[in-house]
Amino acid sequence: MIKKIVFNIAIVFLVVFVLDFAIGRTLQHFYFKEKSGACFQITYSMETTKADILVFGASTARHHYVPEVFEGTLEGTFYNTGQNALGIFFQLAMLESVLKRYTPRVIILDAEDSFEKEKSSYERLSCLLPYYREHKEIRKIVELRSPFERVKMISKIYPFNSHVLTVLGMNLNIIKGDELYNKGYVPLDGQWENKIYPTDTYAAYMVDPNKVIAFKEFIVRAKKSGASIFVVYPPILQELNIRQEIEIRREICLNEKVPFWDFSSNVLFYNNKGLFVDMVHLNHDGAMLFSKLIAAKIKDAINKRMP
Amino acid sequence: MERAEVLSKLTVIFRRLFSNDSLALTNELTAKDVGGWDSLSHMLLITEIESAFSIKFKLKDLNKMKNVGDMIDIIIAKL
Amino acid sequence: MNFTSFNFLIFFPLLVILYYATPAKYRYITLLIASYFFYINIKPVFALITAGVTLSTYLFTSLMGRTNTGPWKKRFMVINIILILLPLFFFKYFNNINAGIFALLELFHLKWPLPKIKLFLPIGISFYTFMAIGYTVDVYNEEIESEKNIGILALFVSFFPSILSGPIERAKNMLPQFKAQINLDYNMVSQGLKFMLWGYFMKLVVADRLGIYVDAIYGNIYQHNGTSLLFASFLYPFQEYADFGGYSLIAIGTARILGINVMQNFNRPFLATSMSEFWRRWHISLISWLTDYVYTPLSFSFRKYKVWGIVIALMITFFISGIWHGAALTFVVWGLMQGLFLSIEALTNKEKSIFEKKHNLSKKSWYISIGVCFTFLLFAASEVFARTTNINDAFTVYRRIFTVSGTLFIGRLSILIYGIFGLSILLLKDLRDEFAPSWFLLFENKHKFVRVIAYSSIIILILLIGVFDGGQFIYYQF
Repeated sequence: MIKKIVFNIAIVFLVVFVLDFAIGRTLQHFYFKEKSGACFQITYSMETTKADILVFGASTARHHYVPEVFEGTLEGTFYNTGQNALGIFFQLAMLESVLKRYTPRVIILDAEDSFEKEKSSYERLSCLLPYYREHKEIRKIVELRSPFERVKMISKIYPFNSHVLTVLGMNLNIIKGDELYNKGYVPLDGQWENKIYPTDTYAAYMVDPNKVIAFKEFIVRAKKSGASIFVVYPPILQELNIRQEIEIRREICLNEKVPFWDFSSNVLFYNNKGLFVDMVHLNHDGAMLFSKLIAAKIKDAINKRMP
Repeated sequence: MERAEVLSKLTVIFRRLFSNDSLALTNELTAKDVGGWDSLSHMLLITEIESAFSIKFKLKDLNKMKNVGDMIDIIIAKL
Repeated sequence: MNFTSFNFLIFFPLLVILYYATPAKYRYITLLIASYFFYINIKPVFALITAGVTLSTYLFTSLMGRTNTGPWKKRFMVINIILILLPLFFFKYFNNINAGIFALLELFHLKWPLPKIKLFLPIGISFYTFMAIGYTVDVYNEEIESEKNIGILALFVSFFPSILSGPIERAKNMLPQFKAQINLDYNMVSQGLKFMLWGYFMKLVVADRLGIYVDAIYGNIYQHNGTSLLFASFLYPFQEYADFGGYSLIAIGTARILGINVMQNFNRPFLATSMSEFWRRWHISLISWLTDYVYTPLSFSFRKYKVWGIVIALMITFFISGIWHGAALTFVVWGLMQGLFLSIEALTNKEKSIFEKKHNLSKKSWYISIGVCFTFLLFAASEVFARTTNINDAFTVYRRIFTVSGTLFIGRLSILIYGIFGLSILLLKDLRDEFAPSWFLLFENKHKFVRVIAYSSIIILILLIGVFDGGQFIYYQF
């Protein structure tokens, strides 16, 4: 009887294995054929771009750095690898896969995301699963998700979990990535009309040591590669609970001798509703102003370094 | 009182309570077999039986009533 | 560790091998150790409470067993029930009772600030406490003899398949099974695996997927319009069914593989044509427990009030059901609503049957459909209270449904598509099981080929669109 049970389970496993392999491979093939959208942009960042100036970050990265400004002032090509709601782990992964291929001239880290200990920061790394197999350099980051990721990757479908419709839709041209492929920059429209609510600026929370380590590693790796790295904390409309965040970053950058530019209380932006669409995101006008400032500062810093 | 008499008296009660003139009681009959006989109507049935036979049940008796046959046994024991 | 964590998929097969490798006489010990291991893996301290409940119950039921007559038998029962309810009350209701007392004292201008303790509710305490109480009462009523083997009793209280979220089992059903010689049975294992597979499908593909959407709406009720709130409220009962029902099915399947029969907990609840029928199909183990240990004694005591006695008993029973679910006022309202629905049905039952008989309605499909829809509506309406965390929010949801119009919020469309797709499969299966149980057999098909393809397809479906973690970000743009 035990034989019968084991045998039957084995048959099912075999059939599942075959189906999983076939379907998974198909999904993989069509996933990498996507020509627009967030996944395509991640692929582009990791495998294709050879831009001189790279921006890393989350949603503020996507909306604050205008390509034309940087390309004009710094005379080089520009690409923005930032993706919404993805934090330092993702940014480190992007850096690793970029540095494996080439060394950019300028690296800008928009260090806005929080160091708070949150499950979602790990769960959202699922967007990197399709790249796990080919990109050894990001494996240790993906494995932060759980000690069992390697085992789960035995399934070829697993990395593409929940992607079926997207992959199908993109390939059948039913859906298209909603932003134009403009080097990763998405301009925002409008202004913040609502009241500004005072927030508790000193509420303590638990810091995730993994994130702090990842942040430090990002800076060290970027500096070691020979690129000029700049860490920026973007402008905000009004004081939020970020004192702790900024202090941690400032200290690490100081130790590693990397420029840290804190724009969170910059007079040009602070309280200036006309430049923001919400408490943390600049609109296109704000982005233009910000980009010009940053680009100028970078040019200045680079010039100072030249003997 | 004999079983047959108890049975016929019960039949009258059941038929009235569950609006079913053709209901026939057997020893094996349970709530599942009778439409409308559920935990909501069970207590109504119990009260009717108590007044019809002038007896008073104990909660323990209820747990022992698995079917109509048990019911008759317990009623007879209380008479 | 819980059923949907990856380490369970490692723990369970190992346990099964170890279990059947143990000589039959000692299998319950393996199971007992495994249950405590499982439980300790959640939070070690909780296991102490489980052990405490076991010890107390063992002690007092043995004492009850020795005093067959006299007032002490009842006293021992009452003492044990109070003792084992204490941890439950403390963990679940302390903060609420504390706040309530505090508010009361404030009325009298007395300030007595007791510290608000941050308490983690021991997982499963609501379930095993009820199981232990049931056993104690059963011993008192002489339905079962007090168990001499403390290991067997400990296993009953800590049985890991049902400790997390039920089904709430009875000693009469479980103890004999634990003591008996359990042999490896092919059909049990096969059936168990099928239950587990379907349970995982329900939980991962349907419940957790719909949950992403429902959470997005209910997490922001002041930002979403009435249309979205209505749609989310419509989906929520299905999510609950797939979640709770799926989890129960995994528990039942797990137990079955171990050779233990555990009672069914859900029986296609949305095919009920009345709330009374609904409550015979939804969370069956809880209702059954409440009926036997609360409702029946109560309605028996109040039987001289005829139908009104039943109404009072119903209201009290469902009040308890409400607070059992949670220490919030919303759950109380939810419970009372169920009591209200059932009371109205009890009061109008006679007229309803006469009406149905007169027009020969009970077999007509349109009449059944109306019953099904109406019952679903009533339950969905009450679930708004279960889903929100305070009364204000619940009423806000209702208010906005009727006053704030707008287009339906979609977010990431694929979430809804996957969710509704999975839900359709689930509902179609339930319909098939209810009305045409021998058609379209897949898991039960007589051809092995069909069965294998069916199992494999469900597994593949779980891999493709099951929700494995919170990485499914609804606002994530393409």
